[in-house]
Amino acid sequence: MDEIRWGLLIVSYLFLGGMSAGLYFVSALATYLQDGGQPAYPRIARVGAMLAPWPVAIGSFLLIFDLGKWYRFYKLFLHFEWHSPMSIGSWLLVGFTLLSLAYFWAWLPAGVIDSVVSRLPKRLRVLGIVAWPGREGLRRPLAMAGFPLAVGVGIYTGVLLGAVQARPFWNTNLVAQMFLFSALSTGCAALILALSLHRDDLEAREARLLYSIDIVLILLELFIVIPYIVHGALSPLAVRQALALILGGPYTFAFWVLFLTLGLLVPLALELYEMKPVLLERASLHPNRVLAGATAALIIIGGFVLRYVFVYAGQVSSFQ
Amino acid sequence: MEPVMSKAITRRTFMNGAATAAAAAALAPQLGCARFLRSKPAAAVETREVATACEVCPNKCAVMAVVEGGRIRKLNPNPASPKSRGMLCARGNAAVKAVYDPDRVKQPLIRAGARGEGKWRTATWDEAWDFAAKHLTEIKEKHGPEAVIWSSTEGFQEEFFKNLGLAYGSPNILRHPTLCLASVNLAYSMTFGTVPSFDLLNADYVIMSGANRFESIITPDTMDLIDSTMNRKARLVYLDPRFTVTASKADEWYPIRPGTDMAFILAMLNVIIGEERYDKEFVASACHGFEELRAHVQRFTPEWAAGETEIPAANIRRIAHEFADAAPRALYYAGRRSSWYSNDFQMRRAQAILNAIVGNWDREGGVVPNSKIALGEYLYLPWDEPTAARIDEMEERFPLAAKGDGVFLQARENVLAGKPYPVKGWMVYKQDPMSALPDRGRTQKMLEQMDFVAVIDTQMSDTAWFADVVFPESTYLERTDPLHMLPGIWPVVAIRQQVVPPIHDTKPNLEIVQGLAKRLELSDYFDYTIEQWLEEQAKELPIPNALEHLKRTGVYTAPGAPFYGSTRKPDHRFLTRSGKIELFSERLAEAGHDPLPAYTPPVQPPPGAFRLILGRKATHTHANSTNNVWLAEFAPSNDLWLNPLAADRLGVASGDLVEVRSDVGVVRLKARVTEEIRPDCVFMLHGFGKKSRTMRLAYDNGACDADVLVTAMDAVSGNAAFHETFVRVAKVGEAAGA
Amino acid sequence: MRKNLVARLGVRTKRYALVIDSRKCINCKACVVACKAENDVPLGRFRNRINEETRGEFPKLLASFEPEQCHHCASASCVRVCPTGASWQRGDGLVLVDTDDCIGCGYCIIACPYNARFFNEETRVVDKCTMCVHRVDAGQPPACVETCPTKVRVFGDLEAPDGRLRELLSTRRYVVKSPQTGNDPHIFYLL
Ligand SMILES: Nc1nc2c(c(=O)[nH]1)N[C@H]1C(S)=C(S)[C@@H](COP(=O)(O)OP(=O)(O)OC[C@H]3O[C@@H](n4cnc5c(=O)[nH]c(N)nc54)[C@H](O)[C@@H]3O)O[C@H]1N2
Ligand SMILES: Nc1nc2c(c(=O)[nH]1)N[C@H]1C(S)=C(S)[C@@H](COP(=O)(O)OP(=O)(O)OC[C@H]3O[C@@H](n4cnc5c(=O)[nH]c(N)nc54)[C@H](O)[C@@H]3O)O[C@H]1N2
Ligand code: SF4
Ligand code: SF4
Ligand code: SF4
Ligand code: SF4
Ligand code: SF4
Ligand SMILES: [Mo]
Repeated sequence: MDEIRWGLLIVSYLFLGGMSAGLYFVSALATYLQDGGQPAYPRIARVGAMLAPWPVAIGSFLLIFDLGKWYRFYKLFLHFEWHSPMSIGSWLLVGFTLLSLAYFWAWLPAGVIDSVVSRLPKRLRVLGIVAWPGREGLRRPLAMAGFPLAVGVGIYTGVLLGAVQARPFWNTNLVAQMFLFSALSTGCAALILALSLHRDDLEAREARLLYSIDIVLILLELFIVIPYIVHGALSPLAVRQALALILGGPYTFAFWVLFLTLGLLVPLALELYEMKPVLLERASLHPNRVLAGATAALIIIGGFVLRYVFVYAGQVSSFQ
Repeated sequence: MEPVMSKAITRRTFMNGAATAAAAAALAPQLGCARFLRSKPAAAVETREVATACEVCPNKCAVMAVVEGGRIRKLNPNPASPKSRGMLCARGNAAVKAVYDPDRVKQPLIRAGARGEGKWRTATWDEAWDFAAKHLTEIKEKHGPEAVIWSSTEGFQEEFFKNLGLAYGSPNILRHPTLCLASVNLAYSMTFGTVPSFDLLNADYVIMSGANRFESIITPDTMDLIDSTMNRKARLVYLDPRFTVTASKADEWYPIRPGTDMAFILAMLNVIIGEERYDKEFVASACHGFEELRAHVQRFTPEWAAGETEIPAANIRRIAHEFADAAPRALYYAGRRSSWYSNDFQMRRAQAILNAIVGNWDREGGVVPNSKIALGEYLYLPWDEPTAARIDEMEERFPLAAKGDGVFLQARENVLAGKPYPVKGWMVYKQDPMSALPDRGRTQKMLEQMDFVAVIDTQMSDTAWFADVVFPESTYLERTDPLHMLPGIWPVVAIRQQVVPPIHDTKPNLEIVQGLAKRLELSDYFDYTIEQWLEEQAKELPIPNALEHLKRTGVYTAPGAPFYGSTRKPDHRFLTRSGKIELFSERLAEAGHDPLPAYTPPVQPPPGAFRLILGRKATHTHANSTNNVWLAEFAPSNDLWLNPLAADRLGVASGDLVEVRSDVGVVRLKARVTEEIRPDCVFMLHGFGKKSRTMRLAYDNGACDADVLVTAMDAVSGNAAFHETFVRVAKVGEAAGA
Repeated sequence: MRKNLVARLGVRTKRYALVIDSRKCINCKACVVACKAENDVPLGRFRNRINEETRGEFPKLLASFEPEQCHHCASASCVRVCPTGASWQRGDGLVLVDTDDCIGCGYCIIACPYNARFFNEETRVVDKCTMCVHRVDAGQPPACVETCPTKVRVFGDLEAPDGRLRELLSTRRYVVKSPQTGNDPHIFYLL
């Protein structure tokens, strides 16, 4: 290959797809966790549901836009090639997008629907039925159905790369996990960011939930990055050469500074700092809006950089 | 041959990407045409195949052109020719692009501004012919017909052009050999009475000095040599100051000190004669002057030669032994471009003598006189022989050289000096003297002092750029040429027939010549068509419907396998004065030259300076293919090869801009620091740094070697001596992004 | 070439492949230009290439030239990853791209370990060596094979019992490139 074939559009697509999966996942978790028959974290669930469909939708457009012949994208759906991660992923993506739209609808506040419908011309007022009150009952089933699909999408963005034997940088089963946890973490961060920008304050218990989830995800990511590097360094030559791309090659700065330090370690430290009262003093935490926003932004940027480094460095790596 | 570190991932990917992008940008002007060429013809278009012969270099490989819907789609090799077998090289394949090159000269042009300013007006053919004829007549009236030089390079239609010059009355026919192979041809002629071929296919031992056969492609030698060396049949010893592709395939490569090949050969003679390893019987029966030779080479020991050549004496001795042992299946290859040093003739004669005494003459795997196939001739009216003496004073200065070819550089110097008489007109056919002669500044002066210059070319060459009128010839794929016989161990007759009609307002040379002849009142001598000419030529061939056969199959070959030994019969007289192979030459002595090759050590570059050497690359022909988009992909520009030892001393890194200065000129180009050249030499590829703005890919791109080459000639043949140039190199700019 | 079920599933009677004798390669690029002409390969893009390597220090030097193009792998990763089935393999082993079905996603380009594929900016779909299938099916040799001055490439059918390929592969030592890719490449390089 004479050039980088997959560029920033694909990076963005993988990133946005993952973020949707993360948003859906955390929101679904918040829907699932009940507190006296009611969702324990309704705000997290609702905001997550409101946001989840859009990154992946935008990402899909970017993907189509990246095709040599964008208007042929429909051909993806004339075929199902079980051995092609992209074919599986495309179907998965459609399923997930439809589900997240349904989930979005199920969480859409009736007031919003009413005020939109009331502005429509008379003939279209029948659309008021989308405000069907029974949809609330669908929230939990949709959330449950969403777990596998969200996890699938999160993994898929990694499998797409990891399944390519030709690129030793990718061709390890750690990439899929890495991308999954990073996806969930960026989704979580997107929620932290959204809530910290919300006119109501970020509630302590909400922050506690999100931070806890995120700390776990970041730790998991770290537990993957370390074996990825250690394993890679002990692997056949092609893999070691591929690893050189981040261990003293063109992507070293992006990987170590932008992703690992600013995208993982610093947010982890900030989150632990925020959680300190909970963890050490068994007190309740006092979320700092600015700190929360900054942490979330760093995680999001880190997630993007991770995809950037993997997509680019992976294409450069080869057996020859 | 940039060293490629195929293991270094980062470098490979980034560099390739960058290089591709840069190449694409450089080629941008041509993209329009590329698309035009590629517009796919509709479904059921007529496809036909036309047999013809490549014209891009002197090999004339047999081609089967595929024409689809009136466009040339592809050129395939025609395996029927034993010379080219089933090959076409990169240049031959890329010839399609020359036809559809948007930069071609598409109709006659008459100069509208000052010479070299590049202002032209398009003209009709009648206007162009009238214009040229008016000037030619004026010059003839004022200064005589000898005041017009007619210069050309070999080609199937060259004869018509030459004949026009002769019929016009000028003795000053100047052909390309003294830029190319005059010294080697003369040396073998003076020794064997003929210029032979080298049976590389069957040789067991081959010594090649500097003939870079795997990059300067010559058919069938290039293919034969690969077959014999790579099948581990033949041993190849190769001498070249550069590590060429040939060097990389050789069993032994010696980066010989430039200009000392003769010392190597003399030492081989010393060993082979001193140890009585020559072919005594053959020498006694067929050679003349052996005792003089024996005495002459006594002092040239391998130890002495080692000092000259930097090749260890033991190796020279061993090679001499192996060579003699392998004889007669051993040969010292002559080379083709022998425009090297001012004693080139004598060096090539030493080779010829070495070949002679090991008895490889006319033997399988040895040096073989060419077979020929007789062609008929169209009989046209004869004209009066020109009466004036030649401008290059060949008779006095180079009495042994080939009269019909002239001595190019001597002619230029005499024109510039205005002696022995003024020359005011220059007709040029299929030749680019601005590129092909050393010291471009002087060639430009020569052009500028002319009252009239006309160029017949397919492109706006640098010479055309300085002309008064440019006659665009149809490219070889758009015209039919005379039949051509290619002599050799396996001779062939080739046909070059029109593949597609001219796509622009161009004409074949014969019609251009006829148009001029008519206006010069010389029509009587050119009263034939190309078809009539071909018919007469084909008549002599010993098969029925020979022309039809040629048109269909592309070639005619003599029946049977090649044969050897017809000139080894006792009564055979060689075409030399003594009738024998002349190791010692009285004729040379009479002409004031050494009758046996005498060694003069080459002048060495002054301290800090380098010798500039020249050579080919497989993807370009001379100076004429650098505007071909497909070939430009492999060598989009030229650079200066510099050994790391020299580069370190000068503080130069690859990619740095350097200034190269000789006694006659200065050029700038990028440096390429490489192990592939001796530390005392530099090298650059020919054909870049053009002045013609029409040639968009080559104009002002890289450097023109002719700007810095100094004028020197071989003493006997008058061949240009291109490798006598010393240059100084200085860094003038950093590599971008290094 | 348009995907064709018969050709894809057809009984395997042939297995086309290339044997390359790199030592005979003189890096003349005739094969590269011939391919360009035969297959309308855009400027700056190549279906085949000569990998060059020069090593050593003056005057101890070594240069090698290795022609490469699509290896028409038996276990072709490009075919495996293609989401539309546009990359396909004929029964005779030739790996092809159905340019009508290709959406230009570039996945196969990335998935080819031999860097044999590229994106064709003019057709806007992926491009690669087809082994000149249109010529082969018409009984002609591939353009690069035919034009080579030193006949470096030998094209043929591995299944042909008396074929040149079998002869060469049973009498000469050879390697395939990066066998660890698991693609089972079908260019055999003679040693
Ligand atoms: N610096 C330097 N000088 C050299 C050499 C070198 O290596 N370096 N090599 C020397 C040697 S060996 C030789 S043979 C000479 C070659 O010197 P030239 O014969 O001048 O060589 P070309 O560059 O082939 O130029 C021929 C011209 O013919 C034109 N031409 C091509 N085809 C046709 C055609 O069909 N019809 C017409 N009318 N014109 C056509 C081309 O466009 C070009 O302008 O150069 C010699 N000079
Ligand atoms: N690709 C290609 N092939 C061609 C041509 C072409 O333009 N392009 N042109 C054709 C023509 S017209 C000709 S004349 C032939 C020319 O073909 P060759 O006869 O092979 O000539 P060159 O390649 O010019 O030079 C040969 C080598 O001489 C080396 N050399 C320089 N000085 C010395 C020295 O002192 N001693 C030794 N031993 N070597 C030295 C140079 O480094 C160079 O590699 O090629 C023909 N074939
Ligand atoms: S060697 Fe190449 S350029 Fe020369 S005649 Fe043959 S195909 Fe044409
Ligand atoms: S045509 Fe043959 S010799 Fe020339 S580069 Fe290609 S494989 Fe090598
Ligand atoms: S070399 Fe690459 S493109 Fe060709 S078949 Fe193998 S994987 Fe596919
Ligand atoms: S670029 Fe075309 S051939 Fe390649 S994977 Fe995508 S759809 Fe398949
Ligand atoms: S087989 Fe045909 S398509 Fe493949 S590299 Fe050779 S010429 Fe190009
Ligand atoms: Mo020449």
